Amino acid sequence: TPRHATPSIPSRSAPARKPGNVLEEARTRLHVSSIPESLPCREQEFQDIYNFVESKVIDGTGGCMYISGVPGTGKTATVHEVIRSLQQSAEQDEIPHFHFIEINGMKMTDPHQAYVQILQKLTDQKATPDHAAALLEKRFGAPAPKKETTVLLVDELDLLWTRKQNVMYNLFDWPTRRNARLVVLTIANTMDLPERIMINRVASRLGLTRMSFQPYTFKQLQQIITSRLNRLKAFEEDALQLVSRKVAALSGDARRCLDICRRATEICEHSGSQKNGSGLVGMSHVMEALDEMFSSSYIAAIRCASVQEQLFLRAVIAEFRRLGLEEATFQQVFVQHQALCRVEGLQPVSVSEGLAVCQRLGSCRLLLLEGSRLDLFLRIRLNVSQDDVLYALKAD
Amino acid sequence: MSKRRSAALTEAQRVSLAQTLLRERLCHQKLPDRPVGLDSQYKHLLELLRRTAVHGESNSVLIVGPRGSGKTMLLGCVLRELMSLKEVQKNVLLVELNGLLQTDDKIALKEITRQLHLENVVGDKVFGSFAENLAFLLEALKKGDKSSSRPVLFVLDEFDLFAHHKNQTLLYNLLDVSQSAQTPVAVLGLTCRLDVLELLEKRVKSRFSHRQIHLFSSISFAQYVDVVRAQLSLPPDFPDPKFSEEWNHSVTKLCEEKSVEEILKRHFNASKDFRSLHSLLFLAVSRVSVSRSTLCEADLLEASRLISADSKANVLHGLSILELCLIIAMKHLNDTYDGEPFNFQMVHNEFKKFIQRKSHSIHKFEKPVVMKAFEHLLQLELVRPVDSGVCKVQREYQLMRLMLEHGQVMEALQRYPQCPTDVKQWALSAFG
Repeated sequence: TPRHATPSIPSRSAPARKPGNVLEEARTRLHVSSIPESLPCREQEFQDIYNFVESKVIDGTGGCMYISGVPGTGKTATVHEVIRSLQQSAEQDEIPHFHFIEINGMKMTDPHQAYVQILQKLTDQKATPDHAAALLEKRFGAPAPKKETTVLLVDELDLLWTRKQNVMYNLFDWPTRRNARLVVLTIANTMDLPERIMINRVASRLGLTRMSFQPYTFKQLQQIITSRLNRLKAFEEDALQLVSRKVAALSGDARRCLDICRRATEICEHSGSQKNGSGLVGMSHVMEALDEMFSSSYIAAIRCASVQEQLFLRAVIAEFRRLGLEEATFQQVFVQHQALCRVEGLQPVSVSEGLAVCQRLGSCRLLLLEGSRLDLFLRIRLNVSQDDVLYALKAD
Repeated sequence: MSKRRSAALTEAQRVSLAQTLLRERLCHQKLPDRPVGLDSQYKHLLELLRRTAVHGESNSVLIVGPRGSGKTMLLGCVLRELMSLKEVQKNVLLVELNGLLQTDDKIALKEITRQLHLENVVGDKVFGSFAENLAFLLEALKKGDKSSSRPVLFVLDEFDLFAHHKNQTLLYNLLDVSQSAQTPVAVLGLTCRLDVLELLEKRVKSRFSHRQIHLFSSISFAQYVDVVRAQLSLPPDFPDPKFSEEWNHSVTKLCEEKSVEEILKRHFNASKDFRSLHSLLFLAVSRVSVSRSTLCEADLLEASRLISADSKANVLHGLSILELCLIIAMKHLNDTYDGEPFNFQMVHNEFKKFIQRKSHSIHKFEKPVVMKAFEHLLQLELVRPVDSGVCKVQREYQLMRLMLEHGQVMEALQRYPQCPTDVKQWALSAFG
């Protein structure tokens, strides 16, 4: 890399257009990227993390915290908010100043890059991983007067796992040093990660300060959307409730909820030109969006398949019934296929054509196939349930 | 003489012009003016990309459809229309990746850096290690903001292959950018796998917006014939209107022909995708010459015969009588022992029985000759060893399987040029 290159994306000639109408405005606010000033429904977690970090910063000690929860439950956003409000109070000299660094396990190519990134963010110098580790060791180990507390956020902790676990060990060991003044906040998805993948000395250093983020309930999801819309009238009440109930029942992922709402505004905008409704996003739009995003496409795929492909699927099921197994070779299915062709009054296909049909179904994963070198003896399994196939074939 | 000659020349030019045009359409996958039967998907995608380009809204979308269903064509048409908008033209960066070329994140990252012309690119080379490249790219994307920096469109062809990269780092980062207030990006994935979402890791999946555009063609046969007609017709701006009128007339007449309809029906039944249709039409069009300057029924018949021929039957026609006899022997073994694997010795015994019983001396061959014939079949992969491991067993006793269907053997025998009658009878008689 050239020494003084500044990474940037070229800027555009004219600034982006601002949202024009209510629905566009709603869409901008509902985008996942527009994080609101205060996160609703996470007050308790916010308070806990705030107290933890604040006490460490004031005391000038160090410590670790482990935060877990399924994706889309507001872990990273909450921590960022905590840091933001702590930085505000630091500016007003209510608490001592501190340094905030963030690393993400997914955003580095190798666990040892963590050292490099931490060092670069602390002191703006570049080093190899080994060298960086040594420098950090010196920095956190040696006593130094007037040192600021450092708050280190480690996202996607599970990716920092190495065979010897020395990256994790170091991250959790530095805060225990007397002079380190380091607070480490770690985030991962699974609750039992410390027990599952960490060896004893790592897990014990991580300590027992843990917090888990529960998936959002439907009321919370509803509140999140309402607070984002911020008195902008774009949605019907019932529509919001339907979205939040559906998402809460499936995963409780706030991202999903926002994406669906955004899609619903789009659908509303397109249908709005034809029939003049209230201009709000209604039940029907939300239903359509939910359908689009959640429903499986296998059935539609089978319905739109060509005649021979449908016949082949029927032959597969017929052969499974005959064998009483969930697996058959191409040769066996092909015999059934030819019989079915005769029943349907179609010209029987040749083996090459039959194999082509089979491969086509395999490439879109309606069937699971072995390598095609096995030719007649490649084994076939269904990737969909038999009922789905029968339903899709019968419905028309 | 000279007059006729000049007329013939122009005729040749006309035909070659027409052929060039059709070839462009059929095998170079030239973009049509408007995709057929994909109006709603076209609108959805165009609107989505327009919002990224104009409003700076980040999006992610997957285009899913079977092979040959026009995913790239749809995207090409949408991008063409998008780029023709004045507001968009110079404000969008396009990055195209293909899962078959960018086989790991390292290569993909270099390619992205190169296509974005970031500052660590000198000439055509990207400097820095993998880790530095990633950090540089993320830093660059992070610096941008919604309203002032240029939106980037990432097109990931063969999206499912990117899901096999280590930790799915690239996908995570691209989708993460699309979900956070950084440079506006649109991540477009093209794939033929319906279960592509199941390949994604949980955190990657959560960052994907779950927008999928499905391309399942539900066209009827009548529409299919219309497409054939449209594909074969010459455009109105063809230089010689008289020729194009004649040509189009002949195409229209051709499509109404009963036998042509049968061929097309057969192809339609086999698969609805236009790529296989194109290869059929291409074979037909390439038979047009100066002496026969219009497309006729026989061309299509021949093309269809070429396309739907069974490849193994063709191989069987090229075998010698001895090899054919061995195949028949194996077929009998398969019938008698219900598909159990056999070895050379068994085949040879079966063959010897045949010779002793009815054949005259013409089929008497020494054992090494028979072995050679057997090995030839092995090379053609008409027979394959059961366990493909290292052969510790002697070659005569290695267990084999016949890679042919019963019907294939019988059909090949019917069509075999000058097949001796006794061989035919032997094949027909059940149980050797």
